Amino acid sequence: MHTFFLEIITPEKTFFRGEVQSINIPAVGGACTVMAGHQPIVFATEPGTIRITADGKTREAFMSEGFIEVRPDETIAFAQAVEWPEDINERRARDAKERAEEQLRRNRSAAEYRINRYALQRAFARLRVKHHNDLTGD
Amino acid sequence: MADITEIGHRIKSIRDTHQITKAMELISVAKMRKAVRKQSFSSVYLDSVRYTLKDIMRHSTDIRHKYIERRADRRAAYIVIAGDKGLAGAFNNNILNLAWEHMQQRPVHYIVTIGQMARAYFEARRQQVDLEFTHAVASPTLHDARGITRDILDLYDRNLMDEVYIVFTRMHSTAEHEPVMVKLLPIAEEDIEVDLSTDYSGQIDYDPSPREVLNILVPQYLVGMIYSALIHSAACEHAARMMAMSNANKNAEKMLDALDLEYNRLRQSAITTELLDLSSGRFFSDNNLHQKVKHRHGKSR
Repeated sequence: MHTFFLEIITPEKTFFRGEVQSINIPAVGGACTVMAGHQPIVFATEPGTIRITADGKTREAFMSEGFIEVRPDETIAFAQAVEWPEDINERRARDAKERAEEQLRRNRSAAEYRINRYALQRAFARLRVKHHNDLTGD
Repeated sequence: MADITEIGHRIKSIRDTHQITKAMELISVAKMRKAVRKQSFSSVYLDSVRYTLKDIMRHSTDIRHKYIERRADRRAAYIVIAGDKGLAGAFNNNILNLAWEHMQQRPVHYIVTIGQMARAYFEARRQQVDLEFTHAVASPTLHDARGITRDILDLYDRNLMDEVYIVFTRMHSTAEHEPVMVKLLPIAEEDIEVDLSTDYSGQIDYDPSPREVLNILVPQYLVGMIYSALIHSAACEHAARMMAMSNANKNAEKMLDALDLEYNRLRQSAITTELLDLSSGRFFSDNNLHQKVKHRHGKSR
């Protein structure tokens, strides 16, 4: 299987660097999978789960809203936060979810609604990534 | 010249100050190292985001987006990043003067300050500070950068300002800092300082649309810029303080040397005088004794 070079970068660290077979991303227009030889494209992504397949093994991670640039030479993903399941603080995510729900109930403006919706989405995605891996015993 | 106890007091007070500046230098060194490490991570991210943004702007003609379109540049907003504390050489002054000079050319301007020294500077000049962020200077976090970005974008969306500048100190190396002003909004290709090597010329696709991508990309870019500015500024502040303190240390050592010499000289001369007193007293009494003895001898003879 063909591989391509993937880099996942956050402002605080380089989260991932290496040859992979595919990456599944939560793009704004729906989830898609990028494989080697993809045409150059920039995807905007929503907070959600990314699945990286390398050496035949698939790992999941949480990624907040960001974008992924597919270039002929490499693919780069940018986000404010990317976390492996073991690094996710479940308690914090749960608190954030409750907070976001509370805020959504009494949001005042469209801008606030958008911010809160993203916050809720992030919290949900974090919890999903954490629990999904717990179930499979990964 | 001053007497010996006075010099003793001065030596003691300088030695105490020296101890403080020495401790401050060590602290600054440690903090600067931390900031520089953070900076190297953030610059990788920022460079890539800038590269992509510039790439998009160059490869796709006629993108229309609210953060790219120029407005009549009358009302400018300045985000000024300075330190929370002084004692860092010319660090605070350099950056604040640069911001101040540029502001004079804009009839209407808003000021967003980050750091106590920035607020104090503008307040002293009777310039109203419109928005201030505290706690973001000492150890900048992404959370701070996100909060600042959100507030700025909110104000920009409400059409309260036409341009947004960020004024901060950029670090080239530990010894070389440069106060810079970078235009954040509206985003123009020439403001993004990154070398674009166009190794492929094909049109890039955007999913779902260039507009949507920019909607995500622009806040990311701003958060990255502000975060990196905060980190650069923090690293520079600590580096400037480190230099200032190391100079202070050197000066203190020099002064201590001079004062020690003076102190020893005075002490020596005091001892010499005392010795002289003693020996002359002795000599005198010896002479007297001698004469007395002689006298007695003469009598007895």
